Amino acid sequence: MIPFVAVVSLRNQKSRTFRLWIPVFLMWIFLVPLGILLSPFIFIGFLICRVNPFRGVAVLWQILTALSDTQLEVEHRSAGLSFHIL
Amino acid sequence: MNEHRRQILQMLAEGKICADEAERLIAATEPSPYSSTVSESNSNLGVKPRPKYLRVVVDSEEDSGHDGPTKVNVRVPMQLLRAGVRLAALIPAPALRRANDAMQEQGVPIDLTQIKPENLEELVEHLNDLTVDVDQRDANAKVKVRVFCE
Repeated sequence: MIPFVAVVSLRNQKSRTFRLWIPVFLMWIFLVPLGILLSPFIFIGFLICRVNPFRGVAVLWQILTALSDTQLEVEHRSAGLSFHIL
Repeated sequence: MNEHRRQILQMLAEGKICADEAERLIAATEPSPYSSTVSESNSNLGVKPRPKYLRVVVDSEEDSGHDGPTKVNVRVPMQLLRAGVRLAALIPAPALRRANDAMQEQGVPIDLTQIKPENLEELVEHLNDLTVDVDQRDANAKVKVRVFCE
């Protein structure tokens, strides 16, 4: 499933945590029509690079769907950052 | 022979039940091949479950101590790794040759054109057994890096 939400948590020195939920699905709403409009150019781009356009699009889609559950955490005494794609 | 089977055969010998009933009773006492879960069968066979994530954990501490330790924890789904591998397999041959030349200049004699998607898939599958532990102690810092699959 494609990612729908990204959660960014920031912690400052006073241990105050700010959690930000980023609705990634809104980005898809904008990107899908744009992708459809640009698809002929994307197709030509793949052909110029001598890559099978269908395989290329399939791999990009696989990357997109595999992004869910990716997590990055950096913890330090003075600050902390956590990024989680849901 | 287990106890239940012995009793059923004894009942059959005594004429208390017919051969068909004995057969049905024996079938009922035997464990069904579908009754156990996949994980149970895997554990019985000694098969490890497929890893879902690649984890990179970095623990760094400066000896001066006033900044405290820094911890980095990265969890990447194996699916993303597989997709990345497939993306790498799409790189056209001229680009791979240029990458080969650049790597050989740096003293890494790896021929990337020989890496096929099926080999890469196999490589990702075998990451299950991979654990990399790096423990470095400098004059100023202590760094621990651990890469493993879970």
